Amino acid sequence: MRNLYFVVLAVLFLAALLAILLRYSLRARRATDTTWNDLLQRLTWVDRDNIAMIALDVVTESGELRQEASRFALEPPAIWTLLGGLEGLEVLEHNCHVLVELASYIQRWHPEALVVAEQLRLNAREIEWHVGRLKGAAETGNLQSSFAAYAQRATVTYYMMTRHVLELYSQVGFPRLADLQQAL
Amino acid sequence: MNLSGFDRFLWAACLYGHIVLLAVLWIRRRASSFPVFTSYVIENIVKTSVLYFILSHFSQGAYYYSYWSLGVVDEALQIFVFYELAVHVFCPTGTWAPDVRKTFLGLVCASTLLALSLTLLAHPAAHRWVQTFFLRSNFFSAALLSELFIGTLVLSVTVGLPWKTHAAKIAQGLGAFSILCLAMDIVTTYVGISHNTRVFSELARLKNLTYLGCETYWIAMLWQEAPAPRELPEAMRLKIYTLQKQVEYDLMRIRAWRGN
Repeated sequence: MRNLYFVVLAVLFLAALLAILLRYSLRARRATDTTWNDLLQRLTWVDRDNIAMIALDVVTESGELRQEASRFALEPPAIWTLLGGLEGLEVLEHNCHVLVELASYIQRWHPEALVVAEQLRLNAREIEWHVGRLKGAAETGNLQSSFAAYAQRATVTYYMMTRHVLELYSQVGFPRLADLQQAL
Repeated sequence: MNLSGFDRFLWAACLYGHIVLLAVLWIRRRASSFPVFTSYVIENIVKTSVLYFILSHFSQGAYYYSYWSLGVVDEALQIFVFYELAVHVFCPTGTWAPDVRKTFLGLVCASTLLALSLTLLAHPAAHRWVQTFFLRSNFFSAALLSELFIGTLVLSVTVGLPWKTHAAKIAQGLGAFSILCLAMDIVTTYVGISHNTRVFSELARLKNLTYLGCETYWIAMLWQEAPAPRELPEAMRLKIYTLQKQVEYDLMRIRAWRGN
């Protein structure tokens, strides 16, 4: 009887493993087969002027942190409006994954780009974490009070990521850099 | 013990397969990148030779004890091979990716616990305790390796870490073999080897045949070179490393803010 339980559980276990394997193998295959045009098409449109405005409230054009007196001038409601609320932040979260894939795309021919792709991947995880915190706050009804702090950090991280991806493409002399500049 | 012609063929084919695989690892200079996998291949060559020697010169009992005991060493080495492959995936810059370390440890613990629970539930019928131990450890190892292989795939896809070409090929071979072994071990553990050894023997042959396929796949894949990288001038390479430092610095600075 005990052996019968074992067989039933073991077969269910095997079936679950196979289902997971199939699902994630397809996802992994899709990621490897992606072309550069596919990646560009996956970028969701965001108002880059608004992103820059939120980011430049904290950092300078060169990416340095602003003097204490001149930063955090934007009020939380303005950040909410410029970004388009939590939905806008989710778009940034989606786009930052595409940015990581854009860096990984360069890595296919230039393995040296691995270090940048890995660092960008960690930045993307940071944005995911901020968005996760805000989703949690939305569920507990504390979104308004937490939004500005987390959203502005995520936006600055995203803004810097876009600049670094462009810099990476420019450094390796990618022929379609102009298309990327336009898309970002 | 009488071996059929097919058994002898499988035995010899697996041994020559390992010798060719070892030659490929040395000629293509992959042994230094995969030292544990290379040790696993060497262990298999030694194991097959030792078992053949024991079978020809010693008693059947001595052969079985060596077969079961060396099987456990084999399974332990497979788990170390898996760890080596995980290091290739999750240490892209030489150190463990900080966001993966804890999750990976959790994956190993949860997989071990799950495989152990299922193994404890199994009661294979066998004459000797070493046979029971071998059947259970076989099942445990196949379940654990399958879980770890699939768990690693899930984790790498989720965090967006790509599999490097050769590590991916070794993992695919080992992962597919482990999953097929798991299916066969479920049957073997259920049927046992006390009353009728026919099922066990047939499945052992099927397992060897599957492994032969896996070896062929490894030989073909490890012989091929990874796509050749495009050369970058030294100045550009330096710029890329500076850029990486810049991205790292940005993240630390953003983390260090105190809110408005």
